[in-house]
Order: sequence, then structure tokens, then C-alpha cells
Amino acid sequence: MSVKIVVPQLGNEISEAEVTEWLKVVGDTVKAGDEIVTITTTKTAIEIEATVSGTLTEIMVPEGELVEVGAVLGLITE
Amino acid sequence: MPKQLLIDPAQVLRSGDVTFRPIPVHSYDIPFATERQARGDVALKNVLRHMMIVREFETMLSSFKSTGAYQDTQYTYKGPAHLSIGQEGAAVGAALALAPEDHIFGSHRSHGEFIAKGLSALMAMDADTITQMMNRHDGGKLRDTVSKAIGTDNLAENFLLFGLLAEIFMRSNGFNGGMGGSMHAFFAPIGAYPNNAIVGASAGIATGAALRKKLANAPGICVANAGDGSTGCGPVWEAMNFAAMGQYDRLWEDKRKGAPPILFFFNNNFYAMGGQTSGETMAWDRLSRIGAGIDPRQMHAETVDGTNPLAVADAVRRKREVLLRGDGPALLDVECYRISGHSTTDTNAYRSRGELKLWEPYDPITQFAAKMTDAGVLTDADVQTLRDQVADQICTIVRAVVDPNVAPPIDIHSDPTLIGDLMFSNTHIPQPDTPTDLTQPVEKSAALRTLDRKARFGLDEGGAPLSPMRTLTLRDGLTEAILHHMTHDDSLIAYGEECREWGGAFGVYRGLADILPHHRLFNAPISEAAIVATAVGYALGGGRALVELMYGDFIGRAGDEIFNQMAKWQSMSAGHLKVPVVLRASVGSKYGAQHSQDWSALIAHIPGLKVVYPATPYDAKGLMAAALSSNDPVIFFESQRLYDQTEMFQAVPKDYYRLPIGQPDVKRTGDDLTVLTFGPSLYQAIKAADELADTHGLETEVIDARSLVPFDYDTVLTSVKKTGHLMIVTEACERGSFAMTVAANVTRFGFADLKAPPRVLGSPNWIVPGADMEGTYFPQAHDIVDVVTAELFTAKKTNWRGVRCWDDLDLARRGL
Repeated sequence: MSVKIVVPQLGNEISEAEVTEWLKVVGDTVKAGDEIVTITTTKTAIEIEATVSGTLTEIMVPEGELVEVGAVLGLITE
Repeated sequence: MPKQLLIDPAQVLRSGDVTFRPIPVHSYDIPFATERQARGDVALKNVLRHMMIVREFETMLSSFKSTGAYQDTQYTYKGPAHLSIGQEGAAVGAALALAPEDHIFGSHRSHGEFIAKGLSALMAMDADTITQMMNRHDGGKLRDTVSKAIGTDNLAENFLLFGLLAEIFMRSNGFNGGMGGSMHAFFAPIGAYPNNAIVGASAGIATGAALRKKLANAPGICVANAGDGSTGCGPVWEAMNFAAMGQYDRLWEDKRKGAPPILFFFNNNFYAMGGQTSGETMAWDRLSRIGAGIDPRQMHAETVDGTNPLAVADAVRRKREVLLRGDGPALLDVECYRISGHSTTDTNAYRSRGELKLWEPYDPITQFAAKMTDAGVLTDADVQTLRDQVADQICTIVRAVVDPNVAPPIDIHSDPTLIGDLMFSNTHIPQPDTPTDLTQPVEKSAALRTLDRKARFGLDEGGAPLSPMRTLTLRDGLTEAILHHMTHDDSLIAYGEECREWGGAFGVYRGLADILPHHRLFNAPISEAAIVATAVGYALGGGRALVELMYGDFIGRAGDEIFNQMAKWQSMSAGHLKVPVVLRASVGSKYGAQHSQDWSALIAHIPGLKVVYPATPYDAKGLMAAALSSNDPVIFFESQRLYDQTEMFQAVPKDYYRLPIGQPDVKRTGDDLTVLTFGPSLYQAIKAADELADTHGLETEVIDARSLVPFDYDTVLTSVKKTGHLMIVTEACERGSFAMTVAANVTRFGFADLKAPPRVLGSPNWIVPGADMEGTYFPQAHDIVDVVTAELFTAKKTNWRGVRCWDDLDLARRGL
């Protein structure tokens, strides 16, 4: 089963962020809790962690793109 | 970057005891014969002589204060004299164990420490070094004056005592040009750094200076001299904690490990002016007890007999060794009874004659003289001869210093702005260009890489605004300037609350922790007083500091440190010292009365601080670079509402640049009225200007002040010459604001051009309300339009849309 990697709620006033760095590549095995991707708001950088263990099967937003809260960044297949 | 230290519940929640080791009290037991053998008779004789010099020097001051004369010299000395008669054993004992490169920072009662440190340094320095020191000070003029007036015998000592007394008597050739006086005298070449009239203020400053010694790999230690009463001062506790922070050992890189070499030396005379510390005003029984409350090393605290200089020297020597190993900080509770009053107006109402009598046998000089005669080092006659010689020496110094031809009074009448000219050096460092050691290259930081991808202007080619994710923001402008300085100026360190992993509470330092080692960028404790005081000390020690208070509202927590320390050492030292400190203070929003105040006026009121408040990314970058280059202290205000502000006026160069501090900038031109703004009010004024043009046919010239101190009025006066109308918009409360100062000055200097009095539109004189009500508090665009149409161009009169149609005179009557 595939689980989405989602941009979390970033606080009241922040609606968008930039995908600054993918810390894993497609095909990498990831454990729940591993940092997978860094996103940056105007104020801070946030590492998004895997919520499940599995394989990173898809990166949907490349580095440098802007995303909104709730956007799907990629998929992990358990 | 997450924290490196794990908080493990299994460890934290384990049962056990916090244990303490005994704190030694008067443990000194070295026989006099052993000391004599180790130190030699000459050194011991000097200990006695130095105590006598301190005693006679202060007796002389006391005599002038109480009788207007000393021996055959009449003189009216109007300044203060806080004497340490009875405490000479502490000062001379400490100096005996200190080297010239050790730096002492004193209190208002520190003549003795200054003299003792100076005399001990002169004994340790070679003749060439002493000559160079005297040649270098004021181009050798003071040396020439002293040798001409007093002779060349014992020149260095007389130079020292003359320079100090001339300073105390506020003469132009005092060590600090007469700008320091009794409570602030210092002379850095002998390791005597500023004495401080604020109780305990040296604690934080000396800690910062010790940090500088540590990071610059400079030899020696720093000593914070303070009294027992200062242990009641919060900033002293903040300083002790700052000096003992866990991170020095646990987080700083290997070659930087260890605490700053700082000794907290409490001259415990049992009285805080008239309050008795142990038993009355303080909770401790023994002052040394507080060391146990600070760190697991208990600050190596000891109580020492300050009536015996050799006991003090022994303790200071041992602590110095500990400090040089990086194993500090250290604390000494040096008990020494003050025989004289707190000041010369002290009638001793608070202590009994019986108590004074009890301490008589413990007079450090008579005690030590007795030891010397008992041991056969000196005879009674020798002691008396020594005493007479010292009195003669002081008498000679006094005669010279009271002579206006030898020590001229400061001639304010011939140079009325002489003191004013000392407030700022107006100097700066060249653009720093030597790459510093980084933990990894800048390019490795994802957060810092985003800066490179951003557009340098906030509008796209079609004039549409870009997302702050895509173009430089004010926050980014600050980051770029700070990044350049931090990566090219090794003497610069940055710290404050949440500065490291968090990137600063508002993200200005985001990414910097990826590349900078801990000692260049670190989290400070929530100790605003210590943050500012240590920055001042770090700067006085030759470094540069960038510190922040998170919210400007916390300025109150660092009041003395900003108002009396950061602002004044440049001028109180007559320019001998520089204070290159940049203090960032954000002006909050949405958090209500204690987190959203614009306190720029409070700071602008204090002489000696440059005050900057940029509102655009371009200005923020250029002014931050200017502030970090400045050798004068700068308070740098930043509005939290503007951190995400993009650039609307001009592209922000990628390369390094500086903007002049003090130069307002015309952001929009117009012929009908001038609106001068401070901080975020710029954007309300621009919005109002659009509406005034579109709806009322009025062309508004908008000037962004950018700085408060200094402030070049020409831009505003030139504009007013054209428009005849001035409105000043600020988020500070109107009463006492800097906007009111500008209004008064423009009225005075631009009166002929004004068609109406300048109008200040600030925040009302009450608390900042919560988020939902902020729009009724901080001036908005519609408020500006209301005032312009209702008061300045009455023919355009419209209905008030805001809530500000109140009667200002009635409010003033009600204190509002």
C-alpha cells in the first residue's frame, strides 16, 4: 500500500513552502521516522519524516518547486 | 538541525540526590615564614607599600571631601568618593596573583583595585614595555607632564597615580580625558578595565571580555570585581550562569571547549551601602554558598580572608590556574571590612562603634606590618618611614594634579560640543574579506541555497507581486548581510535566545547553524541582561558581537546593559574604548501589550546609541552591513510584520553593500505633502498616498526615516520646502516619541516653509491591544487619509473612517 508524503500544516499564516532538498532518492528503503525531504518556508526549514516504513517509490515535486499546505510530495510503498 | 543532547527519561527520572561538596571557608594556612621564603622580602615589602599607597590615596580623597584640604593643599572636589579603606588586603592580594595580561573590571569602589593592579603590573612589566606604554598613551603627553611636574624618579608609578587622580578630578589629562571620573576610571594597558558605577554591572561585562579572551586565544583571565551587595542583582546571577553554561563543555568543538576564564571576585564588606547582606538583605549565610547554586563545579567557590593579602593572593593564584585550564568559572567571597563609610556622606548610623572597634585589629595594613616586624623583615621605624614616603608621594601627586597648568580642567567653553563629539567614533571596519572557518561550505546548507534562487526584486516583469518564497524578503536581506559578515569576520560572534537550531525566533539565522561552529553562533540563556552585557564585554575586549533580544519588549530586561553600558563606554572612555555591538530587537505584532511595542523612542532618547529601523529588504541588507561594520553600538529594530516583506522599490544587489546609517530615503515623490514614516508605517503611507492621489488629487512625498539616530534632517526639510506640509507616522506611542522630536525640529528649522504645523500620527498612549484590535491601534492608511483630509487639507474633508477622531488635548489631560 502507498502512503502519501504530505506538506504539514505550517502555522496560521504560512500557506506555502519550497521543496529544498530530497534526502532520499526513489528506490531508497526508508524507516518510519526517517527524514525524507526538507521544505523551507520564508521563516524556517522543516524536515518531513516518513510516517511508515517502506520504499520511496515516487517523488512528485522536484527541488525548487513551491508547494501549498496539504500538497502531496511523494509516495512511500509499504 | 536537531539538538545533539538527548534528554533521556530513563536518566532524568532516576531517583537519587543532588550532592554538594563542602565550600572552604578561610582555609588558608601557609605560615608567614613559608610565604617569605617563596616570595622574598622585597615582594612582601611591596605588598605592604602598595596597601599603604591605596590607603593614603583614599585617605586623601576622604580628606578633600570632608575638609576641603589634604595636608597643605586646599581643593574643592565635587565628585563622588566611594572608599575602600580597610579593604586594601583584598585588592593588593588579588593583584599580587594577577599578571599584566589579566583584566580586572571594577565597581564604584575600585580605586584600590585600579592602583593595586597597576602597581603589580608595573612590577611585572619590563622597562621597555613600561616606556612604550607611557609613550603610547596620548602621544606621550601625560608622561611628559608627569616628568616635568614631578620628576623622572619613580616615573611609572607617578604616571599611574597622576593619571588616576587627574581622572577622578575630571581633568583633561586624566586617563579617560576626565570623562570617567572616580567611579569609571580605568587604564587598559595595565589590565585595569572600566570600573562601573552600576552595582554588579562588571559581572556580565567581564564575562564577555573573558569569552573574547577565550575565543581570541588571548592570555590571562578576567576578574569581575563586585561587592557583596551585588549578589542581590539579577544581572550578576545571569552573568554567573552565562559564564558556566553547559554548552562550553558539552557542545563546543574540541579546541574551543571549556568555560571563559572569569573570576567573580566579591569584595564582601558585609554591607550593601547600609543594608547588611548576611542576615538582613540576602538569603545566604556565607556568600560563597551561591557558587553551589550555579554549576556542578560549585564555581570552585571559597570564602577567603580579605584582611590578609597573602590569603587572597593564594586563593586568586589557585583559581587562576583553574580558569586557564578552562575549568571555570570561579567565585571568591573575600571578606574585608570597610572601615570608611560607604561614601563621604555616610554617618555610619547603621553600625555600632563597638563593631568598628572589634575590626580594628584586623586592619590589613597594621596586621601585615605587624607580621613583617614580628618576622624581622622590617623594623617599626622602617614601617613608619615607608608610611611617610608614601604620604609624600601622594602629596606630590596631589599638588601636581590640582595645578590647572599641570592638569588642565576640561575647557567646555572653548569647545562646547567636546563631550558630544565623543559620543560616536563614526568609524567602521573595511568590508571583511577573509573567509572564516566553517563546519561545511555555505552551498551545503539547503536553507542558505534558497537565497540564491530568489528574485532580487519583488515584482515580476508584468508588475505583479512575487511570492515571498520566490523573491527576497526583508528577512533575507538581513540574512545576506549577516551571512557575509559571519563568514568573513572571525572576530564577530552572534548569539541570543533560539539563535542556533531554531534559526532565530523569526528565522533570520536559518541555515547559519549548518555552517557556523558553536562558538560563532550559539543559543544564550534567557538572560537579556547577560546577553547585552557580555556583548559589551566581548567588544571592549576587541571582538564584535551581534546579539538579539527576540522581542524589543524585552529591552526592559536589559535596561542597564543597553542604557548605561552599551551606550556609554565609548564616551566615558573619551574614545579609548569602542563598543562594536549590534543589538537586534524585533517589534512584535499580534501578541498584545507586552510583545508588540515599538520602543524605538526609548532607545533614541539615550545618548550614545545609533538606532536603525529599516522597512525594505534593500535597506535592511545595506543597513545591517553598515551596523555590523560600525565601531559604534547600534540598536537594530526589525518589525515582525515586515520579515516577509518583499522589495517594492528597487532590486536588492546580490553583492555586499552598505547604506549610510542616518540617511532617510524618499520612497515616493510628490508636491502636495510630505509623509515621513518609521518602520512599517511606510507601507500604510504608500497605500494612503495612492488613495490621496486617486481620490483627492493630492501628490504625497513619502520618506522612510530608516534610522532614528543619527538623522539627517536635510531630506525632510528639502521636501517640506516643496510641499509645505509634514505628517510623521510612527507605530510608537505618540507621547515622547522620536516623531515628536522630528516634528519640533522641522517646525523650528523649516518654519518659513510650513503652511501648517507638522502633524504626528502615532499609536495612542495606551497598551497595544490583542491581534484583532491592532488595526485600531497602529496607524493605518485610512487614518493617514483621515488626518490629511480633516486637518491638513480641510477643503478635501471627508468622514473619519478610523477611530482617531478623539480630542488629543483632552486625552493628554487624562494622562492618555
